Amino acid sequence: MGDSLLDLIVQNVTQGRASQDDEGLEEGWEGQPGVTELVQKALDAGVTAEDIINKGLTAGMVIVGEKFESKEYYIPDMLAAAEAVGAAMQILEPHLAKSGMKAKGKVLMATVKGDLHDIGKNIVSILLRGAGYTVKDLGNDVDTRSIVDAVREERPQFLGLSALLTSTMVQMGEVINELRETGLRDSIKVIVGGAPVSEEFARSIGADGYGADGFAAVRLVESLGPSQQ
Amino acid sequence: MLAASRPLDISLDRRQVLKSLGYRSDSEPSPRIASLVDEYIENARQLLEPRHAYAITNVEWVHDSVAIVGGSTIFQSRVIARLLERCSMVAVFLVTIGNRLEETACRLAEDGLILQSYVLDAIGSEAVEEVAQYVEDMTRETARADGLVIGKRVSPGYCDWDISQQNEIFKMLDATSLGVQLTDQCLMVPQKSISGIIGIGPPEGKVDEYNPCKTCTRQNCLGRR
Repeated sequence: MGDSLLDLIVQNVTQGRASQDDEGLEEGWEGQPGVTELVQKALDAGVTAEDIINKGLTAGMVIVGEKFESKEYYIPDMLAAAEAVGAAMQILEPHLAKSGMKAKGKVLMATVKGDLHDIGKNIVSILLRGAGYTVKDLGNDVDTRSIVDAVREERPQFLGLSALLTSTMVQMGEVINELRETGLRDSIKVIVGGAPVSEEFARSIGADGYGADGFAAVRLVESLGPSQQ
Repeated sequence: MLAASRPLDISLDRRQVLKSLGYRSDSEPSPRIASLVDEYIENARQLLEPRHAYAITNVEWVHDSVAIVGGSTIFQSRVIARLLERCSMVAVFLVTIGNRLEETACRLAEDGLILQSYVLDAIGSEAVEEVAQYVEDMTRETARADGLVIGKRVSPGYCDWDISQQNEIFKMLDATSLGVQLTDQCLMVPQKSISGIIGIGPPEGKVDEYNPCKTCTRQNCLGRR
């Protein structure tokens, strides 16, 4: 029972269906239970929240990631899947707290000072949530001091910085310098992304990594692992 | 010569919206995405407040990487100077679709509806592009009536034209009456706004044939034409 429910969760994540009213990415899914209904059923059947996340939601997102990489899925398909996972996580959160399962880590996200673009940051945030991370989104046009203050207060393991403009991406370097000067740099991994940003730029400002797209950002966070605090 | 701001019809071309969402011209979205896009295109219409400001002025002097227009406005850019060097006049414009669509997209994102927010944002991009295209068409017709042709539409931030030159365009137009403001970084708010210029000149000057992208090495540029 549990296994077939988990398989259905995987399939419905890949179909981007949060609820039974949603159409699938392919034909013929309408009316059938979506991810949120299936997650509730699985909980009722005694499947642990941890299994639902690892063998259902995350397993589904891995397939979505592969389909996105192979260009079978477009950004909207990926977002539909991530949204379904996000809705399921809301149902699971109280159960996680009860079971003592911890989030994989905390990520602070911000679009830097002077930049108003937040779509890329939002996509990375929702994918990270779907992958089991706690994400605190500071928004866009966030000045260096506010980012550094938030790092001090929130103590996240990761900081994700986004910029869409060549004129604002330099702010990312400012944030890293400020983290260094305030003694916080070694406590956190800093990843950067956005249209004008590159691997080379990331290295030049002393970031820990560059994510070319949402899934690359998630892989990067996974590979950097929990930082030593 | 300043045309009054007035409403205009926006068709919201579905194919162009899909292109903004990343779909190639030969690919169709999945059923779920297709219904969402169709539904949002219909709903977005009531969120649009299209407006434009527009002025045609003289090109006074062009040399190397400087163009002086409309008496004393200085545009600094090699590409802009090249675009205007054979132009007698230039249309300066600012268009916007207002705040409402953007505010709605923002609220959707805050509620975790990132897909819906992303689709609405793409529709907004198409809408403001259609307003800019309307201004371009209007400029082309005005030029044609005088036996003139127009060059490529360009905006500050394109090529070597620094985004800070938005200030010059804003000084030439009544931007505040459109409700468009510039941030310290010279980004426009509402973001779904486009400012720019269109050169106007005699057909023998081949103003309409110059395309800076042809000699540019940035193959991955998002604005490549």
